[in-house]
Amino acid sequence: MEPATENEWDRLSSSSSDGEEQAASDGSSSQFNRQQHVAFLMMMYESLPHHYQYQEINRITLAHFAISGLCLLGALDRVDKDAVSDWVLSLKAHPSNKADLTNGEFYGFHGSPSSQLHPDDNGVLMHNGSNLASTYCALAILKAVGYNFANIDSKSILTSMRNLQQHDGSFMPIHFGAEKDLRFVYCAAAICFLLEDWSGMDRERAKAYILNCQSYDGGFGLTPGSESHGGGTYCAVASLRLMGFIEDNVLSKNMSSSIIDLPLLLSWCLQRQAADGGFQGRANKPSDTCYAFWIGSVLRMLGGYNLIDKEALRGFLLTCQSQYGGFGKCPGDLPDLYHSFYGYTAFSLLEEPGLNPLCAELGMTEFSALGI
Amino acid sequence: MESDEGDEQQQEAERLPLSQRPEWSDVTPIPQDDGPNPVVPIAYKPEFSETMSYFRAVYYSNERSSRSFQLTKEAICLNPGNYTVWHFRRQIIETLHADLQDELAFVGRIAKSNSKNYQLWHHRRWVAEKLGTGAVNKELQFTKKMLSLDAKNYHAWSHRQWVLQALGGWEDELDYCQMLLGEDIFNNSAWNQRYFVVTRSPLLGGLIAMRDSEVNFTIEAILGNPENESPWRYLRGLYKDDTESWINDPRMSSVCLKVLSTKSNYVFALSTLLDLICHGFWPSEEFREAINALNTPDSGPLDSDLGRAICRVLECVDPLRCNYWLWRKSKLPLTVSSQ
Repeated sequence: MEPATENEWDRLSSSSSDGEEQAASDGSSSQFNRQQHVAFLMMMYESLPHHYQYQEINRITLAHFAISGLCLLGALDRVDKDAVSDWVLSLKAHPSNKADLTNGEFYGFHGSPSSQLHPDDNGVLMHNGSNLASTYCALAILKAVGYNFANIDSKSILTSMRNLQQHDGSFMPIHFGAEKDLRFVYCAAAICFLLEDWSGMDRERAKAYILNCQSYDGGFGLTPGSESHGGGTYCAVASLRLMGFIEDNVLSKNMSSSIIDLPLLLSWCLQRQAADGGFQGRANKPSDTCYAFWIGSVLRMLGGYNLIDKEALRGFLLTCQSQYGGFGKCPGDLPDLYHSFYGYTAFSLLEEPGLNPLCAELGMTEFSALGI
Repeated sequence: MESDEGDEQQQEAERLPLSQRPEWSDVTPIPQDDGPNPVVPIAYKPEFSETMSYFRAVYYSNERSSRSFQLTKEAICLNPGNYTVWHFRRQIIETLHADLQDELAFVGRIAKSNSKNYQLWHHRRWVAEKLGTGAVNKELQFTKKMLSLDAKNYHAWSHRQWVLQALGGWEDELDYCQMLLGEDIFNNSAWNQRYFVVTRSPLLGGLIAMRDSEVNFTIEAILGNPENESPWRYLRGLYKDDTESWINDPRMSSVCLKVLSTKSNYVFALSTLLDLICHGFWPSEEFREAINALNTPDSGPLDSDLGRAICRVLECVDPLRCNYWLWRKSKLPLTVSSQ
């Protein structure tokens, strides 16, 4: 992520202080500073500083971090939910007719109006930049603001999504070609799960691809043969969970019947907690805030979250907490939206008071637990 | 391969707004349509907005010209994450039959400051795929260069693995891994690549044929730095799907014993021994003696069951994973005591 400058963060801190918890001068604190985090997210929600322009094609992802983040912090009342759902829906790619759904393109959501050009004079969408990652984020946001999913054109999303699945089970994110890896298998699975309809993908093929991604050390790489990695492992396990291939609390059951090497995966995940208490994404690499979510969630999904050292993790995360609100990647770093969001999800896994419960498989608030 | 980016940087410093360039005077830029209530609006810088507005214009009209080609270069340098720009550039390359070697050079020039950009690496792959096997050496050189800047760059490793599988060039790969491990024995990416080569190279005999020499190499690495997780995982990986051979290879337990005898950095030695026992390995008396000799605090008299004894030591010496070792202990089969 593009680093912010000190000047920009000075501006933020002067307008976001509300007199509550006084952070230590080095930014860390002994408490999760919920008020400050809400202020940080609201500031991002209202206007992103210019260095975020480098991620503008994925603006909907940034919106997801801000809005789903506010949801986790129980502060969504500050958001104009109708304006949000209108904006998200405006990013939907629309087929001009039913035949389009099998023309090879995907009719999901765009990441940003900047890549969304209007249909030509014949009403044909010539430049369809909608993609799987943006679609996942769109649905996450719509879920957070309580939009009625019955009003979403699920059929166009699910039917056209099949065009993106490859022969080996992996997914391309976008119809005109891009890298194929586990991230998009995950997006596809999450989309099907959220729309409650698995016609969007071939689950067996996806499973086969995922299993090919398990490395010799138990973790999963993003592609077959690649190094085991926290993000890849999350995508693998979450996808298998969503698709119904791993039962609840599998660690307390008969592990030998599992389709993946569970004991090795468990050992690998737990070894990712480093001496500083944080989680690393790969062996012999530095700890980073976001892996508290990626790896922590895997452990939660398997029923092994209690095996970690929660106090040590909490201690590490608090050194990544910024005095301006938000979280950075490493201790003392300036905050960014991505690490902030995953910092909040990590604190939700730690059951921090004042945060909503997390659905680890979907990476968002567990709405069913809230009676929604 | 070009290593300096002076060309692109100089252009930035001298940039004339597009609205003032005569060759663009016939084009009406398309501003971004942010709608009535934009969420997370971005405070774009003017040159960014302008470049993207002109890009949208030629993209919309599908103008695959050399000025469009030049514009995609500017847009990429300003906004390298925008995949529609890269996509349009590829379309122009095809239409104009642009030189692919030049394109590799362009990617090479901007790679250093975009080393973790998915679009850049995908574009590189697309060009290399078009060039075919002739691109092998260049791609191996390129990834080697990128890895010399960051030996763990995930994108570089993915690209390298793709090159090997799609285009070939396996000849020197094991040596390359050896060299990287010589520079940093803790480089887990290099260990992973080693596994990749050993298991997939069409020039080597396959995992089982390579296993013996790989075991010896790995054990040496372990003994040099027993606190290094990577070789322990690699060692286990050499026996993937072959537990029987794993527990029957005397070198597996002997490396654990050797490390235990040094009484330092023995956490992985203990956990490996525990795993061996759980899979049916029967430890001789010298293992019990070695663990006894560790004299870990609070462990009390050594449990009669060696598996339980190991767990108790690990609870002490690997306290971060104390809950895990307690859980492992609880999962041990209730067998007869010491063997």
